[in-house]
Amino acid sequence: MRPLLALLLLQAFSVTLVHAKEQLLEVVVAEPYLEMRSGPGRGYPVVYVVGRDEVVTVLYSRTEWYKVRAPRGQEGWSRRSDLALTKLVSGEPAPIPPYPDFATHRWEIGAGYGVFNHQNLVTTWGDFGLTDSLDVEFVLQQALGTIDNRYIASLGMRHTFIPEWRWFSPTAGIGFGEQYIDDKVPPKPLQTSNQLAYVSVGARGFITRRFMWRADWRKYVVFTNQNQNEEPEEWKFGLAVFF
Amino acid sequence: MEIRLSSVLLAAALLSGCGWFHRGEKAKTEVVAEEPQGEPSIIEPQVNRRAVKTPKIKAKDFELGGYFGALSIQDFGTNPIYGVRAAYHVSEDIFLEAFLARSKAGTTSLEDVFPAITVVGDSGRRLTYYDLDVGYNVLPGEIFLGRGHAFNSALYVTVGMGDVKFADKDRFALNFGMGERLLITDWLAMHLDVRDHVFETDLTGRTKNVHNIEATLGLTFFY
Repeated sequence: MRPLLALLLLQAFSVTLVHAKEQLLEVVVAEPYLEMRSGPGRGYPVVYVVGRDEVVTVLYSRTEWYKVRAPRGQEGWSRRSDLALTKLVSGEPAPIPPYPDFATHRWEIGAGYGVFNHQNLVTTWGDFGLTDSLDVEFVLQQALGTIDNRYIASLGMRHTFIPEWRWFSPTAGIGFGEQYIDDKVPPKPLQTSNQLAYVSVGARGFITRRFMWRADWRKYVVFTNQNQNEEPEEWKFGLAVFF
Repeated sequence: MEIRLSSVLLAAALLSGCGWFHRGEKAKTEVVAEEPQGEPSIIEPQVNRRAVKTPKIKAKDFELGGYFGALSIQDFGTNPIYGVRAAYHVSEDIFLEAFLARSKAGTTSLEDVFPAITVVGDSGRRLTYYDLDVGYNVLPGEIFLGRGHAFNSALYVTVGMGDVKFADKDRFALNFGMGERLLITDWLAMHLDVRDHVFETDLTGRTKNVHNIEATLGLTFFY
């Protein structure tokens, strides 16, 4: 039993050792030189320059900058577009990933402001693209009014017309969800939670390579146990990033 | 004739169906070793192809941390505040940030002068807020400490909105802020922030916009 335990421990240890000695990408400078700045931004000064044919190690990235280590150990930040011009030791171009394409991106998260039935609305969403033009959206929002405070969670499908248009693409969607009225000035609400369904029309556009805006108008049907269903309206505007 | 034709078609359909069931399997091919016909070659190349896997580059765009400081709740005095923050850096200029924080209000001057009056009950003095902000690094640069040390820094402005729960009621609040991020190392940052949370309330008699300014000191990790 004891040797087995020792073996297991040894194995676990070796695994952590291997993990700690993670392999890093090494690239060869192919242009006359590669600039290294003190920080990940154009406002930081160039502190070191690596010459042609020297090998630099890429440590990690932050936004469009990469932290690199020069052959003699100096560390600094190089721009993505500069690093994309380097080569692998084998001579192939360096695998610096391109930006996710705006028309074919997969994941998106965002937040924004809106108005739900004359109440201020804080909205957040996550989005997964099934195809270039069809995505699943999950929206979590809080409507803060003078009368009540409610939370709305919804799940739906959205279609983007002409997804290859960069600045403006119209969208339309449909979905269902649940609302929960957390707190209301007296009298108490007849129902604190209701199911709902919606249709929406909106638009989206891209601001920078990773950044986009979305605007959306929704018409809800809130199912109640009264004779009439409620039909509130909502519009919202938000900013999102995509991966 | 027709029956024969349809039976042939059915058989074909069945056979193709069988093929469909085996679609994941590889077709077996018989390998017939070729006999060397003439003289055996002198040098047999024995090159093992090495699978070269290029390592992936980690992205460290997230920032997570906590902060504490002082929050001035209009009409209710200045009190300690503590919270957590998470940010995602979209580009070298723009970032998205979320805050969650707590504080406890003091007493109004009315309550101090007339101790019998209670504006807000004890449970209502608890203030909680969340904020969703967008930030812009306006002045990136370096801060020098003595002769030998330089730290990366950035002055940023933020604008956002969220919910302030105070006096047992949730209120929509806008916030405007300005802060300084000082990077102690590339993965550890110190923040100095000043933010104003504006919301509408009628707690002290008439409906008005109240400004609640906080000054905080924070520590965040990039990962």
